[in-house]
Amino acid sequence: MTADLYTSERIGLDWLRAAIAPVGAFGRRHDEALLPYGPGDEDRARTEIAACRDLADRLAAEAVERLRRALRAVPEPTPIVVRARAGDPLGDVDFYELGRFSDALDGLARIWDDAGGPGDGRPPVLERLQALLAAGRDGAGFYLGDAFGTDLRAARAALQEADQDLDRRRLAVAERVRTILGVDPSGDEFVVMRDVFDGALPPELHLVRETPAYRVAGFTLDTADRERAFARVATAEETARRELAGRIAGEYDALTAAMRALGALDHLLARIAFAQRWGACVPTFSGRLAFSDGVFAPLAGLLAQRGHRYTPITLELAGVAVLTGPNMGGKSAALATAGFLCACVSLGVPPAARVAELPLLERVIWVGGDGSARARLLSSYADEIVRGRDALAAASARTLVLIDEFARTTGPREGRALLIAVLEALRARGALALAATHFDGVPEAAGVAHLRIAGLSGTTFAQLDARDLDAALDAINAAMDYRIVEASAGDGASDALALAELLGLDAAVVARARAVYGRGGSSAP
Amino acid sequence: MPGSSIFTSPSEALFDLATAGARSIVVVGTAKNAGKTTTFNALRAVAARRGITVAVTSIGRDGEPSDVLDGEPKPRIRLPAGTLVALPAGLIPRTPALAILDSGGATALGPMVFARAMLATTCEIGGPPTARAMRAAIARLCALGDGPVLVDGAIDRVASLAGGNDAIVVATGAASGATVAAVAAAAAGTVARLSLPGRDPSSERERVITVEGALDARDAEDLLEHASGATVVVSDPTRVTVRGALFEALRAAVDLRCEHPLRIVACTTSPVGRGITLPTHALVQAVAASTGLPAFDVVSGLAAGAPRASAPRPA
Repeated sequence: MTADLYTSERIGLDWLRAAIAPVGAFGRRHDEALLPYGPGDEDRARTEIAACRDLADRLAAEAVERLRRALRAVPEPTPIVVRARAGDPLGDVDFYELGRFSDALDGLARIWDDAGGPGDGRPPVLERLQALLAAGRDGAGFYLGDAFGTDLRAARAALQEADQDLDRRRLAVAERVRTILGVDPSGDEFVVMRDVFDGALPPELHLVRETPAYRVAGFTLDTADRERAFARVATAEETARRELAGRIAGEYDALTAAMRALGALDHLLARIAFAQRWGACVPTFSGRLAFSDGVFAPLAGLLAQRGHRYTPITLELAGVAVLTGPNMGGKSAALATAGFLCACVSLGVPPAARVAELPLLERVIWVGGDGSARARLLSSYADEIVRGRDALAAASARTLVLIDEFARTTGPREGRALLIAVLEALRARGALALAATHFDGVPEAAGVAHLRIAGLSGTTFAQLDARDLDAALDAINAAMDYRIVEASAGDGASDALALAELLGLDAAVVARARAVYGRGGSSAP
Repeated sequence: MPGSSIFTSPSEALFDLATAGARSIVVVGTAKNAGKTTTFNALRAVAARRGITVAVTSIGRDGEPSDVLDGEPKPRIRLPAGTLVALPAGLIPRTPALAILDSGGATALGPMVFARAMLATTCEIGGPPTARAMRAAIARLCALGDGPVLVDGAIDRVASLAGGNDAIVVATGAASGATVAAVAAAAAGTVARLSLPGRDPSSERERVITVEGALDARDAEDLLEHASGATVVVSDPTRVTVRGALFEALRAAVDLRCEHPLRIVACTTSPVGRGITLPTHALVQAVAASTGLPAFDVVSGLAAGAPRASAPRPA
């Protein structure tokens, strides 16, 4: 499913992508390689969503969160694995990081088991890799221990002996330097100030350089044995590293499969967390768009942050329909919910609804509303027309067109006529479309279904302090019946005057408006 | 020479002074090639003689054979077996192998790695790029071992010292001045700046001004003009970026304090600079006098302003 930037924002597709973003690099790589589901992918989409819903029921939300935290901490072994396969030498930090990777997989598998996760979804454990590294691991670290090479133990012992011998000789020289020169040499080269000692240097020292004020002296020590021992250790260690790297290269397939599995797990856990948060369902797929208790999660989350209640939406749409009803009654939210749920299934996410029957779409287009970025260049009206043109060009049975108060910024008679004509054209193309409008008589004229928001229940708001916007929203929420019902001819009240009163418009002005409205719009007293 | 003495081992005295009450000892220099790494190595040599396993790291990049900027030869860092070290992965010697204990935090030379020398080795050491990461590295080294943590510091990156409980040794020498007096004055300025006293509510002036972030020359000018006599509080001494006469004027005009004081325990002196050699005895004595701290020349075996050390301790 594709959607332009403006549509993505309006139907919460951007929000959804962020909400289901993987926590780690493996998941990001996994998701980058995926295309959204489209028409023809119904079986695959349903399988993924059903598996996700099943795990959302079986795993505790806390366990899912723990798994995601553990995934976030898995180190990235890809560069090491790739280098090993290419035959490049690996270093001890590489082996250490592979050990951490292996430990992280173990940790994930343990959390999975503790959470009661099913065996077929268990994160991979790399037992052969663990066995390869075992001789170097005591706890979480890594040391290229003697067991990694045949000559390592002997070579290191020889180096240690050579070091000790050199240290003994160095200490002896240092002691003589302290005694004879009164200088405390802390390294192999040191400064001897002439005002501290200006005599002949002992034979164990050589002159590195000198000035009239000081000499730099160095220890004259025979280090040939030590250098030979060092070279032997270097050879033995490099041989051991090369052999270990070769064995790790042999695990390339297992390692890359594990990384792919981690990516898929990250992808899945993000969707499980979403399903657990929003009470999502496994949909059936068809050409209809019908759902019960659908949640436009971006708005529901925002309202929850402000302590307001969100009312889920129920909608049935087959073909083209017009949605009418009061201002603030949730017409735009209904449009957004329809697009959002379609976006969910296209991304393999259980849709946030109690029950849903949804299409896999090629495209969703939003027309109208506050206007896209393009509207800054064009007028609002021109922007709507351009978007309407694009919608008609793309319209098919696999396209959802969401129209939010189209042509509201032009003359109402011409605007209404234009909306009717657009809806007729969409109907003719077999598109799915839902158009919210305040224009009267559009459904009948366009020959499409008419749905309406049930609207205000008749409560009066006289006591309400209109300056308190939160209280006003709560009152509207309490009084508004957000259900979408089939409308009959003539339905279309916008409850505009009651809402204006509630939101604090001067009472006399509202009363005057009521009087004018009662006379059919004539302003005569 | 009155006031200065040749010690059996000034390095021993310095080590005792620095490790009394602190797990971590940071050596900072007043200039490049001020003898910082020589001091660092002297402290490590004392620990080695006493059989104390230390942990080491560096705020800058140290231990390379020659200075990467000026090509001058530099002391190498020799790590006895058992030494803990924090260094970027790119500086880990391949032979003999180190035991890798932990990793974390990025540097330009790869991730920071915490390791233990299993055999004696010689290497470069370096540290993480940010003050916070440096503090975390010191904390990790403290957790991994039980000996002192020695940090080869950098005067231009003293922000790393904030928030810690380190003992700080200031290395100074001919690299920071052409005369004994100049070196002593530079050392005194650095020590005064890093030794800002902590807040004392009982002695605070009526007006207390808290400076968020750095106290720079412009702030100092404002304070001199508008806040004479007030108590001025910065987070820690590393936030004070003014130097020299301006700093002295500010300190005279206001009661300058900090929330998190640092603990400067000693100075070391290096009489050799590029093309300059200063009299050893006079230098150590002048630095001790100007800073009010014990001063040591760990190579020439001189000390001033410090109690006479006892005989060398057994290894």
